[in-house]
Amino acid sequence: MKRRSDDQALTTLMQAAQAGDAQAYVRLLKEITPRLRQIVRRQRSFVKAEDIEDLVQDILLSLHAVRATYDPQRPFMPWLIAITRNRLADAARRYSRRAAHEVQVENVPVTFSEKEPNMYSDEYRDPEALRQAIEDLSPAQRAAIEMLKLREMSLKEAAAARGTSIGALKVSVHRAMAALRKVLIKES
Amino acid sequence: MTIDTEKLIERLAATVEPVRPLARPWIRTAAWLLVAIPYVALVVFVVSPRADLISKASEWRYAIEQLAALATGITAATAAFATVIPGYDRKFLFLPALPLAIWLGSLGDGCVEDWIHFGPDGLSLRPDWFCFPAIVLVGAVPAIAMAVMLRRGAPLSPHTTTALGGLAAAGLGNFGLRLFHSQDASLMVLVWQVGTVFVLAAMAAWAGQYLLNWRSIIGTNRRSALTR
Repeated sequence: MKRRSDDQALTTLMQAAQAGDAQAYVRLLKEITPRLRQIVRRQRSFVKAEDIEDLVQDILLSLHAVRATYDPQRPFMPWLIAITRNRLADAARRYSRRAAHEVQVENVPVTFSEKEPNMYSDEYRDPEALRQAIEDLSPAQRAAIEMLKLREMSLKEAAAARGTSIGALKVSVHRAMAALRKVLIKES
Repeated sequence: MTIDTEKLIERLAATVEPVRPLARPWIRTAAWLLVAIPYVALVVFVVSPRADLISKASEWRYAIEQLAALATGITAATAAFATVIPGYDRKFLFLPALPLAIWLGSLGDGCVEDWIHFGPDGLSLRPDWFCFPAIVLVGAVPAIAMAVMLRRGAPLSPHTTTALGGLAAAGLGNFGLRLFHSQDASLMVLVWQVGTVFVLAAMAAWAGQYLLNWRSIIGTNRRSALTR
């Protein structure tokens, strides 16, 4: 009995909303949102809370977009349930399509396997030693380090500034890094 | 989504405007026919009706096939309009089944009769490529009107909806074609004309995902709700 009167109230609110009554529309949407949340939670029990809210919002947007399809002579809830089911099925299809294109990786590597990126910068805690080590590099290596590592220029920009090739610059920076590593690790 | 549901509700309500509820499927079908039939009549008169139209109309087989094609178009249109109403009765989907069965049955019966009367010659199949562009021409405006009207509804089952819409327009197109194209051999009609109708309905079904989808319908609302 209560459900019937509830449905009747929703039907009346929807009729008013179709006539452009914004207050009735707010009341209607606020009235149905907890019900939608409940339906979504029941049918998609494995979904995270924020995803449930996304689905609820999607249903509200869908309802808003097709509110002209509601026949004021008919009860409101079956119309709403039909939209809800359709949107949930649509979301499930989207999810399975996305899942089919995803590659599941259980252990995401946090860094690369090469030696250089796995060095901890914490090892170099003495800026004076680092400055001195850079000073001791050859002019070409020092310039490469300054431009690429300290001023963060791109290889192309640094090569243009030095008037050298990108390949030569790469060699210089590689050798410079190796020299710095050798000196600094020895000192620490 | 980046806003909470309460805010979304307020933003949707702020943009709510009066909307005219969609009419019942039968009434929308009548409105569609008001656009489609005059256009079909115009094409028939421009191309010029077949010379033997009056005598053909009195032949029961021709009359049945034409009425069945027309009824298939009308019922498919009604079914298509029903499928864009959330909570529609699924019985609507079977509306075109009876006229379609009568149409195919009459043509099948014609094939058997041709076989009995003329033997294998009665079932000879020749190319009749005229049918495809002619049905497309006659069904063009009904198809466009159908697409515009369907887009006012909810894209609940886009492929089914547009397949039915395509069947409606192509069925009407075939009805118009037989008013000016003198091809009555049952097998020829079955293969080239009804075949074209089914091909067009299949193409419409494929186009369903592009013509009717939630993304395009709620996209604007979503953007405005998120940016207001």
